[in-house]
Amino acid sequence: MEIFGIRFLELLPIALFFIAIFGLITANNAIKSVIYMIMLNGAVIIYWIALGSRVGTIPPILETVYHVELHFYEFADPVPQALMITTIIIGFCVTAVNIIMLNTLHRRYKTTDWNTMFDLVKEEISERQNEGKKEAQG
Amino acid sequence: MYLVYTLFFMLFVSSFMIMFERRVYRIIIYTCVFSLLISLIYLVLGSPDVAMAEAAIGTYAIIFFIVVAERYYGREAIKTTFIPSSKNKKSGFFIKTSLAFVFVSIVAGLFIAFSPSMDANLYLRDQFILRAYEEVGGQNIIGNILMGYRLYDTLFEALALVIAVMAVGNFSWLDREQATPIDSSEVKRDRVAVYSIRIISPIILLFGIYLIINGHISAGGGFQGGVAVACFFICRYMIHNIHDMPVKKVLKLEEIIFVTLVLVAVVAVFFDVSTFVEHEYLTIYQNIHLVVVNSLVGIKVACGFIVLFYRYITIERA
Repeated sequence: MEIFGIRFLELLPIALFFIAIFGLITANNAIKSVIYMIMLNGAVIIYWIALGSRVGTIPPILETVYHVELHFYEFADPVPQALMITTIIIGFCVTAVNIIMLNTLHRRYKTTDWNTMFDLVKEEISERQNEGKKEAQG
Repeated sequence: MYLVYTLFFMLFVSSFMIMFERRVYRIIIYTCVFSLLISLIYLVLGSPDVAMAEAAIGTYAIIFFIVVAERYYGREAIKTTFIPSSKNKKSGFFIKTSLAFVFVSIVAGLFIAFSPSMDANLYLRDQFILRAYEEVGGQNIIGNILMGYRLYDTLFEALALVIAVMAVGNFSWLDREQATPIDSSEVKRDRVAVYSIRIISPIILLFGIYLIINGHISAGGGFQGGVAVACFFICRYMIHNIHDMPVKKVLKLEEIIFVTLVLVAVVAVFFDVSTFVEHEYLTIYQNIHLVVVNSLVGIKVACGFIVLFYRYITIERA
């Protein structure tokens, strides 16, 4: 099944990717932002796995010689799968570091809301500038 | 094929539920469902290794989210814990949302209009399926690619995990804040849960070791098995409820095993066994190589995940 010249199975992860980007732009809360990053990662991985399943959907594990000869044109492509395991691990590293950085922000500003956090940061910056002016005058 | 479309429909439903939900614990549960559905889709599309890795990773990410949410919003009022909205409401919410929608739809349209719709290039796939068993020696082609053809890629992936673990240690003040072995959690533990975990946990450990050792024959491998072994230590924490894990020593062990892995990789590439071993015995040596690399990766990943879990638990009690 094809729509716009693209396989429908590959069009769905693209849609999921852009839903996640829309969420990232409009998210008000930091926890939700991290979750949208996970969705983004998942959408990319599904896209590549769907590319690999163009040929067939039998997992590329060779049981016997007979099995290989019988199903040679139905094995899924092993190359994107091997690349995507790497992507999953890198995505998990990003998630872990994201959550711990979120914890650092929460310790400092006591909130996870982006707007409140930005206001607090602006106040800090203006206080520092005032202190600098006082030092320059004194 | 209709199964895939059903799973995709449920995936979209869960992503929209994440988008419109405002209760923290429900968002975390929906993320759990999202991760499960995604791993089922990988399984249906013919990649059990990726599905296993995604399921394991999903478990860990959910634990981190629960710990963090408990710390931020408290563990008492689970049903009524809404994400607090900002005190000063910014005007122009609809303008912001509609602008974002227009932007996303334009970029998506461009992506669809210019995306490649060529036929699949099957050269590499055919070569791997025909020759991987003879050249590397495992029956699982993905394991062959990860541990044989692209071993140096795996090294850099392991390096990324080491760096992430060290970053989490630094951000959570590993030097200053460490729980003593006597500390125990204040959370009330359910007795039924503890007994069932007692029964399940040795099976989890056995499954992890099986995945590591059998990784070159069937689906699985060092990474997935390592995460399963680390899950055994989560069960151990939940049963005994004490902090007796020497985190710094485990971190040091992980670094030492990473250096060993690099040495093994260099030796395996530059001293090729196939030049001086008879053809009949070649498969045995290849299998030894695969098992050794798989178990080194497994132990390294298990150490890294144990450190991550115990650092996050320290956040909870701090």
